[in-house]
Order: sequence, then structure tokens, then C-alpha cells
Amino acid sequence: MTPTTKKVLCIEDELFISEMYARALQRSGYEVSIELDGAAGLKAAQTNQFDIILLDLMIPSMTGVEVLGHLRNPAETPELKAKIIITTNLEQREDTRSDIEKQADGYVVKAELTPRELVAFLDKLN
Amino acid sequence: MNDLDKLIHQTRVYLAVIIAAENLLLIGWLLLGWFLQLSAFIIIPGAAAIVLGGCLIITIAGAHHVLGPIKTVWQAVLHISPTNHEVAAPELDKIRYGRELLVNLIGQIYQLNNVATGQSMAQQAERADLKNEFVAANLPLPLVVLDAQENVVFMNTVASKYLHKSPEELVGKSIYSALDMSFPNENTFDKWLAEAKANTVIDYNSWERVRFGLADQTSLQFDLSAYYNKDNSNGYETMIVLFDHTAQYGQDDQAVSFIALAVHELRTPLTLLRGYIETFQDEFAGKLDPELDGFMHRMDAAGQQLADFVSNILHVARVEDDQLMLELHEEDVSEVVSAALKNYEVRAKVRGMTILPTIAPDLPSAAIDRVSFYEILGNLLDNAIKYSGDSTQIKVNCTMSPEGMIQIDVEDSGVGIPTNVVPNLFTKFYRNHRTRNMIGGTGLGLYLCKALVSAHGGHIWVRSEEGKGSTFSFTIQPYSQLAEELKSSNNKDITRGAHGWIKNHSLYRQ
Repeated sequence: MTPTTKKVLCIEDELFISEMYARALQRSGYEVSIELDGAAGLKAAQTNQFDIILLDLMIPSMTGVEVLGHLRNPAETPELKAKIIITTNLEQREDTRSDIEKQADGYVVKAELTPRELVAFLDKLN
Repeated sequence: MNDLDKLIHQTRVYLAVIIAAENLLLIGWLLLGWFLQLSAFIIIPGAAAIVLGGCLIITIAGAHHVLGPIKTVWQAVLHISPTNHEVAAPELDKIRYGRELLVNLIGQIYQLNNVATGQSMAQQAERADLKNEFVAANLPLPLVVLDAQENVVFMNTVASKYLHKSPEELVGKSIYSALDMSFPNENTFDKWLAEAKANTVIDYNSWERVRFGLADQTSLQFDLSAYYNKDNSNGYETMIVLFDHTAQYGQDDQAVSFIALAVHELRTPLTLLRGYIETFQDEFAGKLDPELDGFMHRMDAAGQQLADFVSNILHVARVEDDQLMLELHEEDVSEVVSAALKNYEVRAKVRGMTILPTIAPDLPSAAIDRVSFYEILGNLLDNAIKYSGDSTQIKVNCTMSPEGMIQIDVEDSGVGIPTNVVPNLFTKFYRNHRTRNMIGGTGLGLYLCKALVSAHGGHIWVRSEEGKGSTFSFTIQPYSQLAEELKSSNNKDITRGAHGWIKNHSLYRQ
């Protein structure tokens, strides 16, 4: 692995979707780990070995919003190097959405995003 | 002034109230009134007592007679208000006129009543308590009255029932803290009232789909009508009458929520379909024989179309629920149009069509919400492709309109639109029954286009000839036109609702 390889953590319970994104990302040179529920996702994220975290909002055991809360709470999690991108199909009211956006580094609606577009989106993140 | 004079004077005033009010409704009352007044002048004191007794009866009967017709008008206004999407177009202007007339009428009655009671010292003390006055007590429609400081001075029993608040809870409070009102656009009550106070003595206005939040988190939806009178000596400056439409507007909301929910369920499988089609394209690029490659393109185009369709429906749901907010940024028209057209190249190609853009040089930058703009142009292109008939070309022209707006035309040489259906085109769920069995669609596209174009500050229209094709045109504002708005809001971008809810008072001003 070259030092430029970016590590992506994908927290997503829909396996077809995570595999689809993982495949496209891997083809573009990313390294991808998948976690299927909120609690496992939080644990993996707290290891701070990822550059990008894709976080679905509707996941079992702990919602994405809760995971985000734990990750952004300095008492529980030291500051992460990872950029956190919310991925969801849930249409938020604008106010909720902007609340989440304040805590996260990005927000994408999955239905509006093909794997190719996701790769392009992540490539633009620094 | 002796007692008799006082009595006679008071009698005349009471009669004037009745006469003036009834005048609007029944000419017969006028004659009777003048007869009694005449008798008060010329006949001896004993007769005056009889006249006074008569007046009391008339006052009570008058309350019923004057207010009865008002209730009828109120109910009529409620009744003729539009109830669903299928009936003939309601005459909205007349309904609005009816509402405003009604509140005006109530205002007049108050005025007269005030003149009458103002004459008697004994009653002057009483008039502070509006509830004792016959108009207020007998008024069968929800009424809220404000003083010059915009505080609630009175609400009647009907209003308190509707709003689930006792008069004691609200009286004395500012209208804006007493009632949680949300308006469908920036024409809010407080804006109107401020303007009325600054510029006029008497004014009236009405609003539709005003939401009243209740303590239990639910909300009611009213049409609202208000009457303002600066010179009202008793301080009852503004009167508000409510028309309850909760059941009817709520039904629309439910239908929309159901659609939104159902469509939402389509999104995950759709994401997967589109994603894996793309994966195939990426991983098999150049390895498939041309025929299979063509199939792949068709699947891709169909997936894109389905995704647009789904987002259309969701957006309509958001427009209906007043959640769709646009952010207008300064954009280069030719760049945005080219990007929008790119999305449609595949789809047009699959149908054997080409899109020919012509963009006038030196167009000024425009105020555009990108996603919505794509949606507008996309829907028009989608229609042009669907209704193309045997033609193979769609022209897209961007020019400066004579009114100084940026105009975009989407011109096809397809099947065209019969003249008689044109007026309905931009209505929700409208589909031309002649073509609807042959061509798929929801009847939401143009409705959505219209909402989005309006939110851009523009207009949309169509010219069409059956058999020869249609040209859909819409306009958007040059960015410079928004310069003033931007200055005043001290903001780089503008947020607008398709008809987004704007909170009545403080929030809107922020």
C-alpha cells in the first residue's frame, strides 16, 4: 500500500449498496472497510485509522445521527482526521439537514449519486 | 340636557345603527327606522318611552337580523372555496372579494355600534368590555380584534373554541406571541398591517393557507381576512376573521405525504439499479459487442429517467408541504444550460434524437438554483422527447427577452398540444386524455416546473400547434435584478420557497 492510499470506512446496512460503492472506490484506488451497524461503525471509526467515513443515517443498533454525536463529542472521541460524509436516502427538513451539516463534512443523497459520482465527490475532498 | 332629550338622542343613535347596518341587506328596515325616528321627534314624552322599548326589541332582533346574513355570507364563502383538484376552476377573486367584504362589513357594524354606545356615559364604562356588546356576543364566526399596539383586545367564543385558547389567555398579549401563524409567502399579516398603518386609514386584505400552530403541536389551516381602521375611536383598530379549511387542506397534505412515503421506498432499489448499471458500463467498457453496449445505454437512460421521475414526485411533495427552498446563486447561463443538456444526451440519443442548443452571446449572469434549474429544463426536455412523434430534433434557445429577463425556449416539432388542453397544462395531475394511454407520465412535471420557475422569479408558458410541435418557454431573473434584494438582506445568496412557509413575524425579518 502506497502512503497516498486513502482509507474509507463505509457504515451502511444495505450490503448491496456498500459493496457497490466499495467496488467503485477500490477500482479508483481507495481502501474500503464496511461496517453494517451503528455500534460496530462507531467502534471502527474511533480507531482513527480512516481518512473518510461514509455514514448512513438509517442503520441498526444506533442511528447515524447518534454515531455522529459520539464521534464529535471530545469527551468520547479524540479529534478524528477523517472527513465524515453523511449518506442517506432520507429527505430531511432543511433545518435538520443543516444541523447535521454543521457536524459533518458533507451530505449526499444516495439516490442522486451513482458510484462514479461518489468517487468524483470523494476525490474532491482533501 | 334633560332626561327626555337624552332618551330621544339615544333612540336616534340606536336606530342609526340598525338602519345603517340593515341598509346593506334590507331596504324595508330603512322605512321602519325612519318612521320610528320621526315619531320620537314629534310625539309627547310618553310615546318616547314606547319608542325606546321598541328600539330595545329592534336592537335584539337587529343583532340576529344583521348578523344572520353575515353568517350566511361566511358560510357561503367557506362553501364555494375550492375543495379538490378536479372541479372547475374556482373563481378565486370572487371568494377573496367575499371574504374581504365580510370583514369590512363587520368593521362597519363595529364602527356604528361604537358611535352609538359612545354617546352614553353609563355605557361608556361598559364598552371596555366588548363581550357585553351585542355585535361581538352574537357574532357566529371566529373573530379576533387588535388595538393600535397590535395586542389582542378581544376574541369571541367561536374563535376561542377554534384555537383551543380561552380569551383570558390571549387578551392583552401581542398578536404575534398569542397566535403562532405561518404564511405561505412573504405577504404576511404583519407586513400588510405595517404598510396599512403607514399609508392608509382603512384597508383590508385576505390570506390563504395560513397555519396556526396549537399548543399540542398540531396545526389548523385557515383562510384569513382582516380589516384595518385607523380612526376607530374605541381603539379596536384591526379585526381578523378566520375561515377554517383544516379538513380540506389537511386532505391535500395527507395525499402528498402518502406519495412521498411510497416514492421514498423506491429510492434504495433505484440507487442499486443505477449503480450496478454503471458498474457494468465501467467494467465492461469496450469489451461488449455494440448491440449489448447499446442495451446497456438504454438501461442507463431508463434508469436515469426513473430517477428523475422519482425525484420529481418527491419535489412536488416538498412543494406541497412547503419545504422546498431554493438557493439562488449567481450563475453563468450558458454553462448551466450546457451541464443540464449533458444529462439528457444519452436519453435523447437512445431515442435517436439530437438536442441543438443556441445560446445568445453576452447573456448576463442569472440568479439560479442549479438543482431546480436542471429539474425545470429536464422536465421540458423529457416532454419534448416523449412527445416528439417522428421528429428527431429538439432546439434549446437562450436569449434576452424584451422585458429584460433571460428566456429559455425548448422547441420540438412533435405531436403538439390541442388548444383546448393548454390552459390545464400546468395543473397538478393533469394529463391530456388523448395521449395518456400512449405516453407515460404523472402529470406532475409541468406543475413542478411552474412552481420552480416562479421561485426563480420568472414565468413559464407554451405555444403549440397540433401536429407541428410545441415550444415551452420560461424566464429567469438576471442576477443584477436581485442586487437590491441582496443589499437589503445583507446576504450573498437568496433563499426562496416554491411557496415556502415563512414564519409570520420575527423569523421572516431575520
